[in-house]
Amino acid sequence: MSIETGIAREAGGLPPAQRPAVTLKSAEFRRTREQSWVDLERLIGITARKGVRALAPDELQRMPQLYRSALSSLSVARAIALDRNLLLYLESLSLRAYLALYSPRIGLGEAGRQFLRAFPAAVISARWHVLIAFLALALGTIAGFWLTVGDESWFTTFVPNWLSDGRGVASTRASLLNGEIFAPWPGFAVSLGHLSTYLFSHNTIIGVLAFGLGLFAGVPTVLLIAYQGLGLGAFIALHYNRGLTVDFLGWLSIHGVTELTAILLFGAAGLVLAEKMLFPDRYSRVDSLALHGRRAAEIAVGAVMMLFVAAILEGEFRQLVASTPWRFVIAAASAVGWLAYLVALRPREQAP
Amino acid sequence: MTATDAAAATLRRDWRKRREIVTPEGVPLSVELAEYSERAIALIIDLLIWLTASFVVVFLLGYLTVRGLSGAVFVGVLNLTMFLLRVFYFIHFELSARGATPGKRVVGIRVTDRRGGPLQASAVIARNLTREIEVFLPVSMLIASLGGGGGLRWGYVLLLGWIVCFLGLMFFNRDRMRAGDLIAGTIVITLPRQRLLGDLVASRARFVFTDYQLMAYGKRELQVLEDLLRRPDDRETRELLHDVCDRICRKIDWRQPVPPAETALFLRDFYTAQRAFLEREQLFGRPRADKFEAAAKRD
Repeated sequence: MSIETGIAREAGGLPPAQRPAVTLKSAEFRRTREQSWVDLERLIGITARKGVRALAPDELQRMPQLYRSALSSLSVARAIALDRNLLLYLESLSLRAYLALYSPRIGLGEAGRQFLRAFPAAVISARWHVLIAFLALALGTIAGFWLTVGDESWFTTFVPNWLSDGRGVASTRASLLNGEIFAPWPGFAVSLGHLSTYLFSHNTIIGVLAFGLGLFAGVPTVLLIAYQGLGLGAFIALHYNRGLTVDFLGWLSIHGVTELTAILLFGAAGLVLAEKMLFPDRYSRVDSLALHGRRAAEIAVGAVMMLFVAAILEGEFRQLVASTPWRFVIAAASAVGWLAYLVALRPREQAP
Repeated sequence: MTATDAAAATLRRDWRKRREIVTPEGVPLSVELAEYSERAIALIIDLLIWLTASFVVVFLLGYLTVRGLSGAVFVGVLNLTMFLLRVFYFIHFELSARGATPGKRVVGIRVTDRRGGPLQASAVIARNLTREIEVFLPVSMLIASLGGGGGLRWGYVLLLGWIVCFLGLMFFNRDRMRAGDLIAGTIVITLPRQRLLGDLVASRARFVFTDYQLMAYGKRELQVLEDLLRRPDDRETRELLHDVCDRICRKIDWRQPVPPAETALFLRDFYTAQRAFLEREQLFGRPRADKFEAAAKRD
């Protein structure tokens, strides 16, 4: 290439046809590809407004192809073009196509089915966390029982007033039997109301707290679970002292098996968060949390589901089934059911 | 940051925060984090829709209460329905093909995977359920305890602290993630709306420039000129174009006067020649970010 110095020539005097034609690689590139970008934009517009179902089968097939060609256009344009509007447009087009193509695009039903398949695997992957939560609960229960058996004034310490609901040191064997263990069923509407308030008063809050507080290194989670154990132990001791242990355990276990498992799972989910924050392995803490947080959240969602089941068992069945052996049968059945779903029958992870 | 990046950032009027994600195909895309205000407005719109739906439930239940339903059942069922409505509302819309709740669609923001992978359904569920812990649970407890009378002063402090901590989290991390985003590995971005405008390249050049003249400027100046040429044609623009044309002529030593009527034509030709020159240089491995960067050595 030679360098011409001095005054530039002016081609203005020539008739238009003889003026030098300008060919830019980037302009040519744009001319040949532009139609496919416009097509892609149209398909994205349809998807955003009406959903994927509004696309014709051939359009559905073309969309990923157009997306990949837009990405390749973007890469080429970044290398050869200096047209800013073109670069920004291609970037925005690619991003919108990416968002449209890589979003879940499923209904609630399908999400539910996917979740039911994923939940057992998530629980199994957190088995050691479940064990730790179980140990915390067991230790709390033993301590609560041991302290309250000797001195019943501990009961008021471990069990808050709004939960003890009139039961306590002053309760007699008869009042516990008739007012609690074999109290009459209050009817469907009232028990449904009770179910809902109950679900939102105590258990979910405890469980969700145990999960969320996992972000604080897991210490509050373990303490919270152990505290639940203290209350449980205190209740058992109260009934033990009045010779009602077996009846009380039946009354408790009909829903307690499900409910306590749920609480343990909440705790385990919190502990997963704590572990991945404290020991991020080779990732940054934030990345580690993102990588495993979904699994922890899956466990927590599953636990909410179990609390629903527990609330139904408690609200509807517990007072209807006024027989301790039958209560134990239902409790055992629920335990077998959960074990089968979570452990024995879980979908195996397929080899990649 | 290289000079080219800096120029690109200035040209974008980069007052928003940008992040880069890499799509599964391996192409980096730059995304714009949504503003706090946008997210707040989206949430408010969604909550208004949810409250409207809840009012319907309240009226239905109120009717039943008149027919003899007890107050406790009323509150219980209402709580349950409102919770279910809220959770399923958010999850349903973010999982659907539209990909965002009505509020987010109005504002134009989207949830996406932080690293650019496919957005998982479990991530959507996780981030929406965590919102319960972050906001709704403490707020409802606060409302409940306000209704229940005094004696809970420490409880208030604790709940307020809880809310402040979780809201504060959003302001104290680089990617504006709330706890739900942290757990799910997501970020909230602004949906880009860039339109494709016409190419400014002139097909037949009337003015011809030498390579030596074109070496006066770099990519940044070219793109500023592009912005200028894309401005709507009015008196202000014309004055601006005259001014710019004068400066360019002085800089590249263009001796003939450019008639006022041909200013736009001249600039367009100059833009075309400049872009052709810079693109060729870039292809040969000699990109030039702006006029301050030394021009490539020539033989």
